[in-house]
Amino acid sequence: MGLLSILIFLPLVATLLILVLPTSAKATYKYIALGFTFLQFGLSLYLYGNFEASLGGIQQLEAYQFVEQLSWIRMDLGAIGKLEIDYLVGVDGISLPLIVLSTLVMLMGVGASWNIDKSPKGYFALLMILNTAVMGIFSALDFFLFYVFYEVMLLPLYFLIGIWGGERREYAAIKFFIYTLLGSVLMLLIIVGLYFSVINPVTGAHTFNMLHMMNPANYVDGSFFAYIANYHDVFGIPARLIGFIVLFFAFAIKVPIVPLHTWLPDAHVEAPTPVSIILAGILLKIGGYGIIRVCYSIFPDIAATTNWWLALIGVVSILYGALNALAQKDLKRMIAYSSVSHMGFVLLGIASLTAEGLAGAMFQMVSHGFLSAALFFLVGVLYDRVHDRYIYNFRGLASLMPKYTAYVAIAFFASLGLPGFSAFIGEAFVIIGAFNAESMTTGVPRWMAIGGSIGILLSAAYFLWTLQRMFFGQTRLQGGQVWKEALTDLNTREQVILFPALALALLLGIMPSLVFSNLNASVLQLIDLIKPYL
Amino acid sequence: MNVSIPNILDQIIASVPLFKPELALIIGFIVCIFIALFLEKRWRNSTFIGCIVTLGFSLYYLIGQLSTTATGFSGMWLVDTWSTYARLIVVCSTVIIAIFLQQQHSKNNGDVYSILIAATLGMHVLSSTSHWLMGFIGIEMVSIASYILVGYFSHNKTQSEAAMKYVLFGSVCAAVMLYGLSLIYGLTGNLDFQSAEHLQGLMDAPEAIITLALLFVFAGIGFKLSFVPFHVWSPDVYQGAPTAITAFLSTIPKIGAIILFARLYQSWSSTAFYFSELSTWFMTIVAIVTMLVGNLAALRQQDVKRMMAYSSIGHTGLLLMAVFAYQDLNSYLLFYIVAYVLMNLATFIFIDQIEQQTGSTSLLSYTGLGKKMPILFTAFTLVAISLIGIPPTVGFVAKLMVFTSTFSVFQSSGDTGALLLLIIGALTSAISLFFYFKIPLYAFLRSSDQPVILKKQFGVLLVIAYILTALVILFGIFPNWVMQVLA
Repeated sequence: MGLLSILIFLPLVATLLILVLPTSAKATYKYIALGFTFLQFGLSLYLYGNFEASLGGIQQLEAYQFVEQLSWIRMDLGAIGKLEIDYLVGVDGISLPLIVLSTLVMLMGVGASWNIDKSPKGYFALLMILNTAVMGIFSALDFFLFYVFYEVMLLPLYFLIGIWGGERREYAAIKFFIYTLLGSVLMLLIIVGLYFSVINPVTGAHTFNMLHMMNPANYVDGSFFAYIANYHDVFGIPARLIGFIVLFFAFAIKVPIVPLHTWLPDAHVEAPTPVSIILAGILLKIGGYGIIRVCYSIFPDIAATTNWWLALIGVVSILYGALNALAQKDLKRMIAYSSVSHMGFVLLGIASLTAEGLAGAMFQMVSHGFLSAALFFLVGVLYDRVHDRYIYNFRGLASLMPKYTAYVAIAFFASLGLPGFSAFIGEAFVIIGAFNAESMTTGVPRWMAIGGSIGILLSAAYFLWTLQRMFFGQTRLQGGQVWKEALTDLNTREQVILFPALALALLLGIMPSLVFSNLNASVLQLIDLIKPYL
Repeated sequence: MNVSIPNILDQIIASVPLFKPELALIIGFIVCIFIALFLEKRWRNSTFIGCIVTLGFSLYYLIGQLSTTATGFSGMWLVDTWSTYARLIVVCSTVIIAIFLQQQHSKNNGDVYSILIAATLGMHVLSSTSHWLMGFIGIEMVSIASYILVGYFSHNKTQSEAAMKYVLFGSVCAAVMLYGLSLIYGLTGNLDFQSAEHLQGLMDAPEAIITLALLFVFAGIGFKLSFVPFHVWSPDVYQGAPTAITAFLSTIPKIGAIILFARLYQSWSSTAFYFSELSTWFMTIVAIVTMLVGNLAALRQQDVKRMMAYSSIGHTGLLLMAVFAYQDLNSYLLFYIVAYVLMNLATFIFIDQIEQQTGSTSLLSYTGLGKKMPILFTAFTLVAISLIGIPPTVGFVAKLMVFTSTFSVFQSSGDTGALLLLIIGALTSAISLFFYFKIPLYAFLRSSDQPVILKKQFGVLLVIAYILTALVILFGIFPNWVMQVLA
């Protein structure tokens, strides 16, 4: 068992441990969860430290690192051919930063769950299953394995939102589930189609191996998704375009893009704080990761022709999300919409098809990961104390909670893209990439870069305005004296969780090479893969 | 046709070894009647033991037939991997049903076991013949046994009504089918649907009569499989019958019928003539409509058993899709059947166990029970996940294989019907999430103030259900284990 497998299945051990321990030992559950996630975090840092940055990955298995390959399912299906499914995991510059991010956010999530007292056994068991699924998604290189982890992720989330959520939790949970499941069952059809079109050159069997799917030479001529000699179409749309659109649709729901984003505010508002943290910090990244790993790598030809539309969707998401955030009166909803806006940058960066843009998109994902986690945690702090997060119900919190205000101010400034913080690097690179795209003739016009910049401006507006409305001025609270007493400043546990995230935002803002150096080779590799089709 | 009598006798004697599992059932059937009459009063459960022993013998002979491929009784009896595995699945699940009956209806249950054996015999006939006469006998044996089973324990009006409805609907369908068969016999002069003569007759016949005859015949099979539009009986019957019987009805009769239908479809759809086209179209449309109706109607149900009836209609649609995508290999159809049997039996045992505790099968009565029966409802949720077709469960692998084979049909033929099947299959999976997830929704997400006093919950049945659940997960992660056996 390699390091990566240990990373994936450690939380499952924690789940079993939690399930086996009697309820009388329920105080230990959170320590078990914390211990295991901490171990994972250490492990992922070790992987990051030992990562050979010069290897690209993407479509070359030999350039992946920490690879493990076991044959899993072999079935002879007669006329359909042999079914070949591997347990194949490995990391490259695209997945590793996200794995490190996930372990960090997971750690924050467990820290934020410290005061959960409604059936902690189920809660931590589900959280750890979710953890396994997330690690699996980021390291799976076999499409079947990927899909299994992808679906397994949904179930714990449904219950985490549905049982521990807020008032309208049932609605939010099922809405979230249906959106994602709809995307993924259609994705399943495309996976089946790809499976029929691709042959493992070594064994001659059809395969679910994603890396084989990325190599045009492995496609059977005349098959449904074949590169050349492909006459298949569905309702007049070429087969490969359909495949790309459906896969994009599945991941775009996760990102989320406008107009498929409507599950996000509901899920966030109803979810308990730790789940919000994980949702924003990790799960949205799965969408971006999927677009890079699956849509762009397996359908580079379509990626090259559709990127104008994808960039447009990105810009629309940036602006629509920002405008919506501006209009929100619920603090958590506002941050949820800011996520939509910030994830739009990821899409714009990916669609720009330039090295700067793609690297920026990756960087933005990492940066948004822990910044949004910090933001949702900060909302949770307020909500824990007074069970209210309506922006207009608070005023002048700065004098009441000075430490809290300082953290909020830093988190807001970092998120709105103040130079010196990580979000600035991500967004700046995306905009540089989008701006350069016209001279690189990748098909993304300059005005889209300008649209992105307006998004930054708007994000400054809604963050600063919120800061001003809630924290400055005369202290005036909806709940009066009761609230005033309840609103105590941050305690040590909360600071321990928040400090690393914000410190990291500053560190990466000053030394972006910490991330860039490891993902650069992969980004260039991906560009090389797509370039011939431009 | 003028074969001398000694020849016929020789053939019959030579065919008897092929018939051993069924002989065991026939003897067991008679013995069980006598046990129920004379011994049951003195030793309770003696009929149950007789039933289990009978099934055990049948199982033993079936395992002996595993590598046999032969025909007997002048081509009326087929023994091949299909029939053997189907019969194995039937016998194994009947054992579970027998235990189910013994646990839940321990009083006055002597005759029910002999009827159960008779139904099993009918299923054996269905799954190992390509002859219409045998097929019809099989369908009738299963049907008559099922009518009795539905009515056997009835002690209120709804249950009697369910039995009555079932009998009436079943008889009409049987009559219609018989009429269709007579037309087909008139057209072809041969009742073996795999024979060249039969196919030749169908090729030559006029289109109008063929259409009529085929639709009539499909009506009979449609009743047993409960595909749309012959499904209307099933929700009422499933809801009205005792849970153990519902578990039986929703699972086992379908195995025999789908095997017969698959054989039929395989031989009928392979020509380029009108009747093949008609069968293919019929199959596609019925599969699509069945999936849609089953899953959409299930959305509105408030009773778990009724919901499961519609869910099983939906699954029939998927089974038809598996038959439609028939390749030269049958293991994925068998795999789907195995998955379906595992999931359905587990579901009904859970439903029954909850019914024992709360006395109700309405979804509302599940409110807040998740906290009180955490293990049961966790297992129930896992089975529901499998029914939807979400990994890592056997239901997902089964669905994936059906999709895979349908896709290969689409890729090689470019048939729009196949594409529609795929899309509808995927969409209905997403729809099915809504109603299957009502179970964890009520059990875990909602809480109730009503105190529920729980009886001791441990029994053979629950253990069986947990084993089935474990298999659902295990076969989902390692489908190889099943496939290697089936292939």
